[in-house]
Amino acid sequence: MLAVIETTPPINMPTVTFITPDGKQTVIKNTDGTLMDIATENSIEGIEGACGGVCSCATCHIHVTPEWIERVGPADETEQDMLEFEEATHPGSRFSCQVELTPDLDGLIVEVAPLS
Amino acid sequence: MSHCPYHDPFKDARKKGPVLPTQFDGEPVPMILGLKDVRKAARDFKTFSSNAPFRIPIPAEEDVRSVRQFPLEVDPPDHTDYRKIVEPFFKRPTQPEYITRVENLIGEILTDACQRDSIEIVREFAIPLQSRALTYLLNMPESEANVWIQWGTHVFRDESGVSKGAEMEAYCHQLLDSAAANPGDDFFSALVQAEFQGRPLTRDEMLGFANITFAGGRDTIINTVAVVIAYIAEHPSALDTLRENPKMILTATEELIRFTTPLTHIGRVCPVDTDVHGKTVKAGDLVSLCWASANFDETVFDSPEEVRIDRKPNPHIAFGNGTHNCLGAPHSRLLVRTLLRKLCELTSSVKLIEATPKVEQEADYERNNAYESLTVQITPSSP
Ligand code: HEM
Ligand code: HEM
Ligand code: FES
Repeated sequence: MLAVIETTPPINMPTVTFITPDGKQTVIKNTDGTLMDIATENSIEGIEGACGGVCSCATCHIHVTPEWIERVGPADETEQDMLEFEEATHPGSRFSCQVELTPDLDGLIVEVAPLS
Repeated sequence: MSHCPYHDPFKDARKKGPVLPTQFDGEPVPMILGLKDVRKAARDFKTFSSNAPFRIPIPAEEDVRSVRQFPLEVDPPDHTDYRKIVEPFFKRPTQPEYITRVENLIGEILTDACQRDSIEIVREFAIPLQSRALTYLLNMPESEANVWIQWGTHVFRDESGVSKGAEMEAYCHQLLDSAAANPGDDFFSALVQAEFQGRPLTRDEMLGFANITFAGGRDTIINTVAVVIAYIAEHPSALDTLRENPKMILTATEELIRFTTPLTHIGRVCPVDTDVHGKTVKAGDLVSLCWASANFDETVFDSPEEVRIDRKPNPHIAFGNGTHNCLGAPHSRLLVRTLLRKLCELTSSVKLIEATPKVEQEADYERNNAYESLTVQITPSSP
């Protein structure tokens, strides 16, 4: 299944693809904010964003695909300390609320971490 | 920047070491203090078990309730199956109709408050707000709140000294009887129809689910609402800041919940003799996970005693962490966010008239946890 969602500008902002554990791909164009913001705005299954993005609730876990890890960057210490206790962690694990979207992330593909 | 010197009673203890050895109910209880250590312990149910009826809340609640609380006082794997039974109700707060009802409710209560010369927030604002909102969560008629409002701030330990625990249990029995006779789609009907591992729930299990929903979801919300109002009263410019940056409502909500940490700590039992950061806990004895200390851990939070409504990241654990993390968190967050939004929309100022802090006086610490009473004057925004 593939869904393409186009939001209104800001122009020049990246297109991002979410893949949920059931294999469904959602392409979101002209994104703005954080990965969690766009995931919740577009009802990506498995991303709740319960704490609104302050890195407290751990309901926004994603896996960044290997080719993107470097550009997305690593988790900082606060985030790392939390990821350490999560299930289904992966070398590309991040909390999506901590990934700010910038033009150089155009084409980014992330997978929603499976629920334990 | 202002600091509240009375808010973090664990600061000195954290300097001395990772645990505060103390007693509750005459039993030794080491309190785990640091954020990382608390988080780690909360995840390690084999070492720190919740399988201990009446003893997970500290002080123990044997004297004030007759049933074990579900799913609080159970370890995985059974915990997982118990929790699933009620999870759908606790997810209701993300539904648009639910959000609208909460907005209307808080709008109504605030508008009424604005029309009075003064209002005592704990009893005239926070309790009705908490009780009426809970009818939405449990999918019950709003009129039921009239019964719950009379239970006071804490069902078991209201300031009046009278425990309403027995009254609440009798009331729950009645609701379960009528749900069994004539099931609808409310929380109690779900309990009488639920299956746990292929069998129906026992009556005590049903009462145990109801018990934590009424008792655990009560003073926590009431305390948080009171601190939010007090904070706005003390910081008149905060509403302007939030009006200019509506997105900051989210970070302000988390920060005020962190600062309040209305549930100071919770217990776990060590099934075998256990070394807890150098203190030996005998098999069957308690440890405490101190959320209130963890949320002021200076190795994680910059100036923890300052309220920064734009604090981000804010990895607080006021709602617990791991397996037992608070089922009521989405509902609680919605209430606080909506309260802030409606304060911005409907009011121009909150003036403090009288405040009596509520003090938890324990063997080795004294913690202010919100208010016994808080009287303010709320002025509506000019049209
Ligand atoms: C600001 C408000 C609240 C705070 C700070 C809070 C805090 C907590 C904490 C720290 C825990 C974890 C306990 C543990 O680890 O053993 C917890 C569990 C729980 N809370 Fe809350 N709570 C709040 C509101 C509510 C509300 C409104 C409800 C229900 C109406 C509720 C129902 C529950 C339940 C059922 C559990 C047990 C979950 C489990 O064992 O799996 N809470 N809460
Ligand atoms: C439940 C009890 C209490 C609560 C919830 C509470 C809450 C607060 C809050 C929200 C602040 C603002 C912090 C900030 O903006 O960074 C504050 C500041 C303060 N509190 Fe408390 N407080 C309590 C009890 C007390 C008590 C009993 C005292 C003294 C007798 C006290 C003295 C202060 C002082 C001196 C400040 C700094 C004020 C300023 O510089 O603006 N507090 N408190
Ligand atoms: S949204 Fe809560 S940790 Fe990301």
